[in-house]
Amino acid sequence: MTRASRLRASRYGAQAALLAVIAAAACAHAAVENNTLTAINGIKVGHYTLAERPTGCTVILFDGHAVGGLSQRGSAPGTRDTDLLKPTSAADRIDAVVLSGGSAYGLDAANGTMRWLDERAGSGLSGLSRQSGGAAPADGMDVPIVSSAVLIDLWVGGKPSIRPGADCGYQAAAAANSAPVQEGSVGAGAGATVGKMIGREHAMKGGIGSADVEMPNGLRVAAIVVVNALGDVIDPSTGAVVAGARNDDGSLADVRRLLRSGATLQRTSVGENTTLAVVATNARLTKSDVSRVASMADAGIARAIVPAHTTADGDTVFAVANGTWSGDANVTAIGALAADVLANAIVRAATQATSVAGIPAARDLRRR
Amino acid sequence: MRTMLLTAVVVLIVATADLKVRTTPEGVQAFRPAGANATLTAVPGIKVGHYTLAERPTGCTVILVDGDAVGGVSQRGGAPGTRETDLLNPLNMVDKVNAIVLAGGSAFGLEAASGTVRWLEEHDIGWPAGVARVPIVPAAILFDLGVGGNPKIRPTADCGYKAAEAATTAAVPEGTIGAGAGATVGKFGGAGRATKSGIGSASIALPNGLIVAAIVAVNAVGDVVDPATGKIVAGVRNPDGTFADARKILRSGVDTPPPRAGENTTIGVVATNAKLSKALAARMALMADDGYARAISPSHTNGDGDTIFSLATGRWDGTANITVIGALAAEAMADAVVRAATQATSVAGIPAARDLRK
Repeated sequence: MTRASRLRASRYGAQAALLAVIAAAACAHAAVENNTLTAINGIKVGHYTLAERPTGCTVILFDGHAVGGLSQRGSAPGTRDTDLLKPTSAADRIDAVVLSGGSAYGLDAANGTMRWLDERAGSGLSGLSRQSGGAAPADGMDVPIVSSAVLIDLWVGGKPSIRPGADCGYQAAAAANSAPVQEGSVGAGAGATVGKMIGREHAMKGGIGSADVEMPNGLRVAAIVVVNALGDVIDPSTGAVVAGARNDDGSLADVRRLLRSGATLQRTSVGENTTLAVVATNARLTKSDVSRVASMADAGIARAIVPAHTTADGDTVFAVANGTWSGDANVTAIGALAADVLANAIVRAATQATSVAGIPAARDLRRR
Repeated sequence: MRTMLLTAVVVLIVATADLKVRTTPEGVQAFRPAGANATLTAVPGIKVGHYTLAERPTGCTVILVDGDAVGGVSQRGGAPGTRETDLLNPLNMVDKVNAIVLAGGSAFGLEAASGTVRWLEEHDIGWPAGVARVPIVPAAILFDLGVGGNPKIRPTADCGYKAAEAATTAAVPEGTIGAGAGATVGKFGGAGRATKSGIGSASIALPNGLIVAAIVAVNAVGDVVDPATGKIVAGVRNPDGTFADARKILRSGVDTPPPRAGENTTIGVVATNAKLSKALAARMALMADDGYARAISPSHTNGDGDTIFSLATGRWDGTANITVIGALAAEAMADAVVRAATQATSVAGIPAARDLRK
C-alpha cells in the first residue's frame, strides 16, 4: 500500500465511521424525538392525499379542552367557522382544524371530519361530550367545532375538477395519530407551490412543514404549515432564499430584488396561492390570549415568506392552546415562540417538499 | 482574447450591479443618485416636521399632506394608544386624511394631534363639512415616560402645532428626535439592558415613477434585526456591550418578565404616490406591517401598541398593483426600522448601537 492509498483508505474509513455515527444518531433521534406539532400531548395529525391529482387535506385533532384563535390577513381567503374563534364569540373550544387543497371546493373536507367526530360522540373525541363528562349525548346535540381553511392548487397536475371532498376529511381524521408529522408533498401540501411572482411556470414545489420547541419548564409551542405562497420562502436567520421564483436557467430570482428593481411582474393570479398554519401550545390560555398568539405567530409568515399577505394569498393562522401543561408562561413569550416555530416550519415545508407534476423542489435544485 | 476580456469585464460589472441592488438598505441607498432624498419626503406632497422637548427626551413628529391623501391603518400591537383610527376603517365614510401625528408621552401624547388640528384649521385645510373644514388627523403614541427623568413632561398640543409649523419637504432628520427622542429597543431581557433607538425613514423609487416610503419611531419590546442578514442591529445588551439576541433568550427558556405596557410601541407611516382606494390603502398598511415582523423580534407583543398608517397621495398617474405597492411598503418599513436603530444617538445613559460599535 502506497502512502497515498493508505491515506485514502484511512480517509474513507473515517468517513464511513462518521456516516455510521450520523446514521445511528439519526435513528436514535427518530426513535425518541418528535420535533413536530404532535410533540404536544393531545394533538393528532392525519393527512390524506388524493391519487388522481396532487391535492389532499390535513386534519389536526385536539383531544381535551382546546381553545382556538385566528389571524386571517391574506386577501383571498377560503374559510369556515372562523367567526366563532373571535374572542367575542361564544364557542370556547375547538375540536379540529382542517387544512385542504382544492380552493373553496376543498371546504367540503371539513364535512367529513365533522362526520368522523360525530360517529365518535361520547368517546372523548368530539365536542359537547366533554362538557357532559364524556357520556354519550342522548339528544344528538353534540356539535364538533371544526374550523377550516383552504388553499388554491387547482392548476397543479391537470384535472382541476379533482378536489378534496368530505371523504378526504373523513379519511385524514381516521388516519390522525400522534407520530411525528409527515412533511413535504403530502396532504394539504400535495399540490402546494411557492415563487409565483413572475408567473407560475417559474414556481417551485412547496408543501407541509412542522416544527416545535420545548422549554426547560415544560412549555411547548409548535406549528404545522402548508406553504402555497405567491412569494419566496426565506430563511430568516440568514436572509437567504430557500425556494422561490426561478430564472430561466433554474437559479433563484429573489423576488425582493425584482420588486426593488421595478422589474415587470406578472399580474398576480388569485387562483394559485395561500399559506395556512396552525400553531399550538400546551399552555392554558384565554380566548383573547390565544388570539394574540395567532396574531404574533403571523410574524412567522412575514419573516419566512416575501411578499406575504398579498391580495392573491388567503394567508390564515389558527392558534390553539390545549392546557395539557399547567405551568405559567406569559403570552408574549408564547406568541414570540409561535412566530419562531412557524418560520421554522415554513422553511421545512420548502426543504422537505419533493417534486410533483414537473414542478421542482428545493432539494432537486441543490442536487443539480 | 479581447472579446473574452470584455466579457469578463461586463460580467464583473453586472455581478457588481447585482450585488448593489441586494436587499440591504445600504446597498439600495448606494444605488441612488448622490444627494437624492431617500426618506418619506421623497413622496411629492408629503412634509415631515419634528419637535423635540428640551425638558426630557420626548417629542412628536407630524406628517403633513399637501391637501389630502387616502389613508389606512394596521393596528396589531396589544397595547395601542390611538386617535381617529376607526375613521380609517374602509367601511366608514371619510376617505381622506390631512396629517398623521406620531408622539411620545403615552396616551397623554395624543394631545399633540390637537395642536396639529389647530395649525391645519388656521391654514384652512380639512374635510369640507359644510360650516367648517374639519382637519382629519389620525395619531398614535408610544410609551417613553420612563426615559430621562420627569415622567410629567409629555408632548402637548404645543408640540403638535410646532412640529406642523416646522414640517418641510427636506430629507427627514433621523435618530433621537421628535417622536423618537425617547424611544428604546431591547426590553425583552428586563430593565437596564435596552439600547437607544429613534426615528428612521427610507424610500424606494422605481424606474416607472412609483415611490413607496416609510417613517417609523421604533420603541419596541423586541430587538431590531436586519432581515437581509438575520443579524441584530440593536437590542438587549450584555454587560460587555454585545447584543444578547432576544431570539436566543426566548429559546433558552430563561424566565423573562412579561413586557410592561408602559415602555414600548412602534409607530409608523408608509406613503406612496400611487392612487389607491381606501380599502387598498388599508391593504397597503397591512402588508407594510410585515416590515415590523421582519425587522423587529418579537413584534406585536401584548406590551407593544404597534401601529402603521398608510397614505396614498395619487399624484402619480402610472399603474401598479397593490401586491407590489404593499410588498415595497414592507421593504421600505423594514429599512426604516433598521435606520431608526443605526441613526439613533445615546440619551439619558441609554447607549445607541453606533456608540456600542465604537
